[in-house]
Amino acid sequence: MDESIKRTMQRLVRRIPNQLLKPTLDKWGRLTAAQKQSLDFTQPKWALTERLLALCEENEWTAKHIIELEMIYVIDNPNQGMWYAFQLMDPEDDAASVELAQFKEQFKSHLRELVKHVSVKIKKHTDEAVWIRIAWGDGFTRPNHLKPTYVVHHLQTPYVFVSSLTSKQKPLLSQALVLSTRYNVIKDANLSGRKLTAIRDLLMRQYQQVFPTKFPSPLTEKNETVSNPCIEKEQSGAAANRLQMACEAFGDGELPQLQSAVYKLETKFKDPTNKTMTEQEEPFKCVIKFASTNLLESLKQCATSGIASTPVTPLLSSIPLKGRNYFVITDNGPGPTTQMHTSQK
Amino acid sequence: MSLLKPFSKLPGLNTANILLVESEEQLQQKLAEALVEETAVTVNVRLAKSLPLPMENEEHRPRIDLVVFIINLTSELSFQSAEASLKYLDPGYFLGKVCFTVTKARNASVPTERLDAVRKLAASLHCPLVFAEDQTPDGVTSAAERLLTILKVAAGLVPMATALYLSNLTRCTVPPDIDQPSFD
Amino acid sequence: MEIRARSRKVQPHQRGRVKQLEAEAEELRLQRKRLKAENQTLETLKKLRTSMNKQCTDEEVMQMEEDSEDSQLLQLMARHTQLTDLLQAHHLIGGYDIIKTRQGKGVCVSVATNYEGVYLDTYNLEIDLKPKLRISRHNIPPFIPLNSLTEQCNLQSHFRVFLDTLSCHLNAFTGRKQQLKLVKEQQKSVEVMESNVLCSLLVLMLTVSKGKPLVLCTLEYADHTSCLPTRVHFECEDKQLPDSPEWKKNCSLLIKTPVHKALMTMKTMGHIV
Repeated sequence: MDESIKRTMQRLVRRIPNQLLKPTLDKWGRLTAAQKQSLDFTQPKWALTERLLALCEENEWTAKHIIELEMIYVIDNPNQGMWYAFQLMDPEDDAASVELAQFKEQFKSHLRELVKHVSVKIKKHTDEAVWIRIAWGDGFTRPNHLKPTYVVHHLQTPYVFVSSLTSKQKPLLSQALVLSTRYNVIKDANLSGRKLTAIRDLLMRQYQQVFPTKFPSPLTEKNETVSNPCIEKEQSGAAANRLQMACEAFGDGELPQLQSAVYKLETKFKDPTNKTMTEQEEPFKCVIKFASTNLLESLKQCATSGIASTPVTPLLSSIPLKGRNYFVITDNGPGPTTQMHTSQK
Repeated sequence: MSLLKPFSKLPGLNTANILLVESEEQLQQKLAEALVEETAVTVNVRLAKSLPLPMENEEHRPRIDLVVFIINLTSELSFQSAEASLKYLDPGYFLGKVCFTVTKARNASVPTERLDAVRKLAASLHCPLVFAEDQTPDGVTSAAERLLTILKVAAGLVPMATALYLSNLTRCTVPPDIDQPSFD
Repeated sequence: MEIRARSRKVQPHQRGRVKQLEAEAEELRLQRKRLKAENQTLETLKKLRTSMNKQCTDEEVMQMEEDSEDSQLLQLMARHTQLTDLLQAHHLIGGYDIIKTRQGKGVCVSVATNYEGVYLDTYNLEIDLKPKLRISRHNIPPFIPLNSLTEQCNLQSHFRVFLDTLSCHLNAFTGRKQQLKLVKEQQKSVEVMESNVLCSLLVLMLTVSKGKPLVLCTLEYADHTSCLPTRVHFECEDKQLPDSPEWKKNCSLLIKTPVHKALMTMKTMGHIV
């Protein structure tokens, strides 16, 4: 058996946690009933790996089969690794009618034109997402299945999500994507995170947003807890107002889980007491990073509790509003206002 | 800008009213629940984030007998907010009807300067300073008990004792060497 | 007995026919009864409605209450119909729910969508008024071409036109989504092979009958402001099938009626399982 297949299999089995191994293999459906019986999932991982490698040899599985298994695992567990969002811009007239078969064929052929040795596998997932797995090779080497790039795209939407892509492969992928989706430009959406579902929900606006309405808002109804008649909040009106503001800025219910937000400041230093710094010509560069397991929830909490002032500053509310978590802030000419500036990386 | 006045309203029969001011609203609710457990007198608790209190509640707000400022020592903002709120109290309150409570004093990240600042503040205003443990239910209950003792006196429910008299005994004092560097 | 025995001997199928007709007559009678009752209720409702509109005197109400046992329910029903009519009228005259936000510096517009009388998702737009109209926040999915709509309709001068077009797009989209949902719920034998987020493409696997080849039906909704497909295409191993007159009819049926209804009709006609 090919050494590289063996290594890919080994690596893959090591990645899948013990409790997920059985369901994933079941879903794959390449094992016969007897072979499934013979696998003892209580065994340590290395023993299981040995056994699976033996089966691999026995059944003469090829790279194709292993890729299948890997894709099943990755699609079911999308919240791993780092995902980056890209935005497609400037659609052609027929962009709205691209269908799966056509996209598949086009993407593969465009990519093959650019790279000689590349292995592309495209699978449609039930939630209308197209999953693309690319194993890259170059002019002389065969595709490296150990470090594949994953691309997720929902047809007819302008967003693409990519994980583990090197800067060398980026222009190749961009070109193939632009051509096959019938758009003209692709650019970095400045949004990244560990959870694919979160960044997808944020960009597709699939989380619960709150808008001002003239009807009594469900927010106030929900938060009315039965309290002791002897305890009274003096500033309950203000608190409710803060909650409404926070919900309008960040949304309600379960918020998409982002891990960080980065602000790169390229503004001039302003402090009347510190003359040497203020008089410097060059902007004062610094990077501010907010990190949390659920950043939007934390920021919302800050606004609700009054730690951050309301209405929420556009710097913070831009994260859900514009769907990005990387900002470059530059001075907007002379004057105290700072302006959000889109950066093109 | 309305000042909160201690004697602008009539007291209720066998009732004591306490106002808890905390900018972070963390201990407030738990403390309030512990305070209303008291059965001997009716305790009314008003919660606020900061002073001044909103005008629209003016009418049905009872006479406030004791104002408690809760300061979280790990946060500078909490201290500043309490300091800013002090302006909206009538000077009459400082005759024994104000109390400071600090939380998280045992936290390692608390700078000693901040605790000193709180002590100085309490001492300069002739107010008692109560340390409270907010992590355990027991800590909350014992803090509530101590506040209740002061509250009952401040509300005039304890014969032979007045708030001014009690505050002379309980007010925070600053050790004379607080500003000197320690040599140990 | 005699007659029955004879009929069994002589005309077995005629006997069956008679029975069938009898059953049918019985059913029709039942239906008449039902319709009569329904009519009665509607009459009462109508009376209630008119009295409601006229702010009737107490006596009449009292009388009504004595009349029927479940008058309270009827009252509620009347009120409900009145409200839905009002709502419909509001939407007919092109009403959108608009409220002022931020002390009049902006407005929030909600566009409600409905399909076949069922209210579906509501979409919201927050719009800045100054220095010029600008959409600052919304929850419209990215596959609705909001930006090109604002350019096409000229948001600044023709705000109403923009809202109408947008509402058209959104209603069509939610309508298609609802149709797909209904197909999945109602037609267990039909397998949805492919669909997309915009619901502008639908590939269905239809079973003609057991043992016969399957039919792959592709519906394309190129007009995104419509709930009806622009192109219907059948694919089958049996090359003659799509050209047969009944499947030609099916094709035009699918083009003219919403997909879940068309499939229902095809099922009752016996063209699919």
